[in-house]
Amino acid sequence: MSPVGLLVPLVASRARRDRLQLVLWIAGTAGLALMATAAVGSTFGDESERESILRLTIIAPAILIFRGTPNGAGEGEFAVFLILAFLCLMAGLMSTFLAVRHTRGDEEQSRAELVAATPAARTLPTAATVVHGVLANLVLAIAVAIAFMASGLDAAGSAVTGLAVGATGVAFLGVGLVAAQLFRTSRSANALSVALVLAAYLVRGLGDALGEASDDGLFRTAAWPSRLSPIGWAQRTEPFAANDPTPLLLSIGLAVVLIGLVFVFQSARDSGASLLPGRAGRAAAGPLLSGHVGLAWRLNAGAIASWAVGAVLAGALATTLTPLVDQIGSDAPAIAETLQQVAGPNASLEEAFTVTFFSMVGILAAAAALQAVMRARLEEAHGSAEPVLATPVPRRAWLGGYALVGALAVVVILVLSAGGALLGSLASDDPAASAENALQSALAQAPAALVFLGLGLVVFVLAPRLTIPVAWALLAAGAFFGIFGELLGLPDWLHDLSPFAHSPLPVGGEVDWTGGFWMLGIAAAATALAVVAMGRRELATEG
Amino acid sequence: MSTVISIRGLEKRFGRTVALDGLDLEVAQGEIHGFLGPNGAGKSTTIRILLGLARASGGEARLFDRDPWRDAADLHRRVAYVPGDVSLWPNLSGGEAIDLLSRLRGGTADRAAYAERKARLIEAFQLDPRKKGRAYSKGNRQKVALVAAFATPAELYILDEPTSGLDPLMEQVFNREIDRAAADGATVLLSSHILSEVETLCDRVSIIRAGRRVEAGTLAELRHLTRSSVAFVHVPGQESAVEALDGAHDVVVNAGRVQFTADSDRVAALLPELGRLGVEGLTVAPPSLEELFLRHYGDDPAMADGAPAASGAGAEAAR
Repeated sequence: MSPVGLLVPLVASRARRDRLQLVLWIAGTAGLALMATAAVGSTFGDESERESILRLTIIAPAILIFRGTPNGAGEGEFAVFLILAFLCLMAGLMSTFLAVRHTRGDEEQSRAELVAATPAARTLPTAATVVHGVLANLVLAIAVAIAFMASGLDAAGSAVTGLAVGATGVAFLGVGLVAAQLFRTSRSANALSVALVLAAYLVRGLGDALGEASDDGLFRTAAWPSRLSPIGWAQRTEPFAANDPTPLLLSIGLAVVLIGLVFVFQSARDSGASLLPGRAGRAAAGPLLSGHVGLAWRLNAGAIASWAVGAVLAGALATTLTPLVDQIGSDAPAIAETLQQVAGPNASLEEAFTVTFFSMVGILAAAAALQAVMRARLEEAHGSAEPVLATPVPRRAWLGGYALVGALAVVVILVLSAGGALLGSLASDDPAASAENALQSALAQAPAALVFLGLGLVVFVLAPRLTIPVAWALLAAGAFFGIFGELLGLPDWLHDLSPFAHSPLPVGGEVDWTGGFWMLGIAAAATALAVVAMGRRELATEG
Repeated sequence: MSTVISIRGLEKRFGRTVALDGLDLEVAQGEIHGFLGPNGAGKSTTIRILLGLARASGGEARLFDRDPWRDAADLHRRVAYVPGDVSLWPNLSGGEAIDLLSRLRGGTADRAAYAERKARLIEAFQLDPRKKGRAYSKGNRQKVALVAAFATPAELYILDEPTSGLDPLMEQVFNREIDRAAADGATVLLSSHILSEVETLCDRVSIIRAGRRVEAGTLAELRHLTRSSVAFVHVPGQESAVEALDGAHDVVVNAGRVQFTADSDRVAALLPELGRLGVEGLTVAPPSLEELFLRHYGDDPAMADGAPAASGAGAEAAR
């Protein structure tokens, strides 16, 4: 059969394997685009309001890290400012995961060997992955363009936006494929490529923040760091303004060079081998691995670290962005009102701002705690809990170890977020007050996060097979009803169901900790119940 | 001698599936006990109950004359376990996993001696302890579990198909370690499919099927349950004479030879009769365990003499 004839079934099998995953990625990304463009119409419908928001970025350029290069206050330009960088980030992650999954992932699982033994040999499957990835990004580009057009934006700008997102995805497809050549495990390859995608996002944000604003504050020329990043290239197409797709040639060019490299590497190495030698582990265990709690900590440390990075950032932003606050009050009353709704009527606008950011920290802490419970479930399901429980570790102590690690995760995340907030407050007018408010806000999040830990443990003991979906669902519902419920005008009782709704609010100089103590009590009771009940429960491996 | 494992009428149900249906099992101290049965017969379920990882639905299981569910943690000080399908932590190296499990079992108190045992076992099993868990093949994961089990001496070794995935050389290393443990007076419950392994190692054997014990005894006792096979060069007319002999069964003519099976305790009495017939090229093969196993492993439970008629529990095993 001709190589092309062989390529078709290889691409088809990839598409089939990814059918659910890619549909979710693409629909999710396009959905975000749709939400952002719709928000421009509803929340920022007034051109003068959009202008005032863009001018805020002159005072607090840090906000640009999460947005994009301002390119004018038209509806299309503003939508691009709000969401384009984030859409590119999604495209990058989708593409690198796709690249690693179908190359290194297959090699690691020895599936690649089965295919390489057919006439497809070693290189054709990689070519099929390239075709599959480019097609996926093409579909993504079309979906994003349609989402922009669905909100009534003009076709040319929408098409350029879609192409910019798709081209960024293709560039990162190349990055993912190279990473897969470098490392022996898909875990390492994914770690490198996710780091590169995030770096591209942050470098671009830095470039935007350091850039030069026009006199009216509505436009900004990005500084040189943005030119190093594929996401920066995507922004330079200036959709709806210049509509110039030529910078995307850089992304395509980068992809061509990287993919060329991949084929050179691939033809030079054995199947299953990697360019960088695999890192050998320790021959003997360190002192940390002396008991089941140490093991639980070791298994969770990576996840806790990544949640902690988010916590430091959120904490730092909570205080760094306070200079914005006064400006918001006068320039963007709609946003000020929103913040006030979250923090309650007694809060000063600055406090409201800090509280809002720390409610995000609370979600992060709850997520990290729940992840410890999910890890316990994975250990049980994969059979690696069995050898531990066949030693003199009682079932209760085993689960207690994961509960302890979950509580530690909450402490680590809140302490680090407070640390981030302290650093950020150094720049504010009144560092002491700002710092005190941040510390109280961090502490106030602990009870709600611990309630989620307790609930997760109870689910783990009563319905082990449902642990992971129920834990995520609890967190999502809690965050949604507790933090956004009031904004969306949902009934009070629904809002009150969420632990986050009862977190103490450090506002107006006085803090009512009652809700916090109640929740601590509930968390302790739930955890104790779960640990005791674990003594009566069998190991539930299958499922 | 005292009894280490004592199981009577043990039952285990998972919803409507019956995994154990009145199982009996006795293992005396210092004995290497083969635990045999087809896939799905309930071997792993029995082991999980003995380890307190699952709770019995009925009947009684005792380990060192204590309740394996209630006193699990305490009993585990005396037990080493190797699962049938070893799953390791993907980001822990094999050496780390061995140390962790040994520390949990309290086997590292005598540091120098432990280090020596670990080094000796890693050398004997030719294991690379620096590899991460996800990088090991099935056989190497099995070795990690075996090294962890033998690196801390135990009174009872519970081994669930411990040599699956090992090469023949490593099986010999395994056999040596079992001998070493047995010489120290340890008791071993060895679940296995490998006949030669059982014949080499085990003092006594229990065969289970569909959640019940169908055979138990020493290997010599079990051999008596099967027949010897006898064959000689075919001369027309002789087969009918053989069929008339007392104790001869299943007479067939195959590839120019007359073949039949004889009750093992009748072989000596049959020989003069065959001499009178003047048979040539006579061969007598001793009873083989393989035949016995195949009878119990086979699809048709009725073939297994003495086995209870398949009950509801047969569904899983009869697949």
